[in-house]
Amino acid sequence: MVGGHDLATRIRRLYLPLAAFLVLMLFPFYWMLITSIKPNRELYNARIMPLIVHQPTLKHYVDLLTETNFLTWTYNTMLVAVVTTAVSVVLGTMMAYPLARMRFPGAAVVAIGVAATYLVPQPLLFIPMSDIINRLELGNTLTAVMLTYPTLLIPFCAWLLMGYFKSVPRELEEAARIDGASRFQAMVRIVLPLCTPGLLSAGIFAFTLAQNEFLYALIFLAKSEVRTVPVGAITELIRGDVFYWGQLMAAALLGSVPVAIIYSFFVDYYVAGLTAGAVKN
Amino acid sequence: MTSRRDFVTVTLAAVGGALAPRWAGAAPKAMSVVHESSFIKAFDDFFVQKLAPEYEKLTGIKINYEPVSVGSMLTRLTTIVETKAGPEIVATGVNWPYLFDAGLVDVTDVANEVGKKLGGWHDNIYDAVVVNRKWKAIPWGNIGQLEVYRTDWFKEVGVNKFPDTREDLLAAGRLLKKKGHPFGFELGHGFGDNHGWLYPLLWSYGGREVDKDGKTVLIDSSETAKAVDFCRKFYQETMLEDVLGWTDVNNNRAFLAEQISCTNNAMSILIVAKRDFPEIGKVTDHGLNPQGPKGRFHLFNVQSHAIAAHAPDQAAAKAFLRWLYDDKQLSAWLVAGDAYYAPFLHGYDNHPMWNADPRYLPYKDCLRTSRLHAWPGPAGHQASESVAKYVLVDMFAKACRGDSTKDVIATAAAQLKQIYKAK
Repeated sequence: MVGGHDLATRIRRLYLPLAAFLVLMLFPFYWMLITSIKPNRELYNARIMPLIVHQPTLKHYVDLLTETNFLTWTYNTMLVAVVTTAVSVVLGTMMAYPLARMRFPGAAVVAIGVAATYLVPQPLLFIPMSDIINRLELGNTLTAVMLTYPTLLIPFCAWLLMGYFKSVPRELEEAARIDGASRFQAMVRIVLPLCTPGLLSAGIFAFTLAQNEFLYALIFLAKSEVRTVPVGAITELIRGDVFYWGQLMAAALLGSVPVAIIYSFFVDYYVAGLTAGAVKN
Repeated sequence: MTSRRDFVTVTLAAVGGALAPRWAGAAPKAMSVVHESSFIKAFDDFFVQKLAPEYEKLTGIKINYEPVSVGSMLTRLTTIVETKAGPEIVATGVNWPYLFDAGLVDVTDVANEVGKKLGGWHDNIYDAVVVNRKWKAIPWGNIGQLEVYRTDWFKEVGVNKFPDTREDLLAAGRLLKKKGHPFGFELGHGFGDNHGWLYPLLWSYGGREVDKDGKTVLIDSSETAKAVDFCRKFYQETMLEDVLGWTDVNNNRAFLAEQISCTNNAMSILIVAKRDFPEIGKVTDHGLNPQGPKGRFHLFNVQSHAIAAHAPDQAAAKAFLRWLYDDKQLSAWLVAGDAYYAPFLHGYDNHPMWNADPRYLPYKDCLRTSRLHAWPGPAGHQASESVAKYVLVDMFAKACRGDSTKDVIATAAAQLKQIYKAK
């Protein structure tokens, strides 16, 4: 506890470590910000202090928003991330619940299969996936990635949620069943509310993974107007051996805003989710 | 039709298409071309805004242009060829026609016609695109890798013309480093600027990775040892130390940040300097790779178009390539590319695009002495594996780091023997 000490002690023990931690955590964002508002002349000047912006400019933001399809890419990314996250959390829950709570032959094997599916690397899957997408004639549509991302995200969500479901005491569910609830009602009214932090954790991780995914988006989304931010930015802002650093950092900064907003809304639940089971009651 | 030439081109294309053995009666409504996004944005824009609409106007066939990010083209091409779906016309680089031979259409007829009309192809381009005597791709240009240097700083140490030999460049580098203007040649795991100077360095001392038969590994030789010794000396006496970790972006940045006086690169440094740093642009020039005891060499970076075997109407795809490689279209497209792509057609040896800036000319001159990575070995899968595993780059980089010449060559020889399945 640091609460009861005098100010000097609090500064030394609380605020200084906290400040150091903040600097460490926020530095990448600071670097993105200053790179995005520096003119090229400053970006390439090795003789001036790199941590300060001498002549700030919004040119990179203007160029990003007017010369590329960044807003369209952002819309596409958000749409894909929201849909795939929703689908993955719902289906992941439906997979995790019986594996964690019900006893049936082969449950352990299926549970291991879920983890193994999540571990199959994408480079092994993208050619067969591409074949399926082509047969379905879904190339160059957002549906292509909305269908393929859950193949990564459902096993991930299920694997994460299985741990949360197991941590809820069976007695609570059994009490509800004795009171007349069906298994479905017991799941929806008892287990899921208790696992809200887990559902949020799974959702936020799934959202972030979907937002950042590169390989499937590269293969399936060839036209600029259907691209997501990671592929669109790299295609149009890296040319040969020249990186358009200002615009790239502007895109990275703007692209991280939605996730930051989502985190800020759910941070309490999220932290609770991360620490669930840490202390035995 | 806008001119007699257009009429003849389109008529020939239509007749060619009609004579080709195929079932489809009607021309396709659309075709797609996939490219790695060009360093020269105007090159991509010219295709989208000028060429594609013009072709649609002439034939009714819509051409979709699909740029992919730098470094991703090989992944995209693999998917297209393996799944037999996607764009009909694909861009290929360096030796890719060898890697995807079975998935690409024979375009010998188109290549011969283009060559005949535009002065003939350069002799050494056949190594890159002719597989088993069949043209599998039609090259539009080479992205040359040359010496890029600061004329003002070289003059400060009494060097008024770019050194012609490796020893002279070493001598100039020593003086420049003492003056605070070191060299910076990439020795890390980038994708082009490392190979761009290290393969020519090996060849210029007489060293080779593998023989013509693709089975006899030749790297363990006194010639290779001389090249390695030179590289170590060149690194220690002329360069910034951190080049060992550089990738392709670092030397551009260091040159434009005025940290280095010379590097090996494509034309991108000069083009960016002219656009964003005009005072550096004024004192930047290009030189051919210096000669070694066994001659002067450069590395090919061939850019070509091929037709994917799954294309439902191959005759239509060929007709499009015939039209694209007609002088009227190709010439204007190359001009839009600001001479970044040096064409392999003798008819363009004196193309007006070379007059825009005399500093572009070395990129044309280097074509004669350019070779593919595995030269004189075959340009197949093994050549790509050696490049992908950075066998040569690591051999030189480890020597610069301090390992003995004998050890680094032995390691490279073992890797190459494994790759080429040689004893």
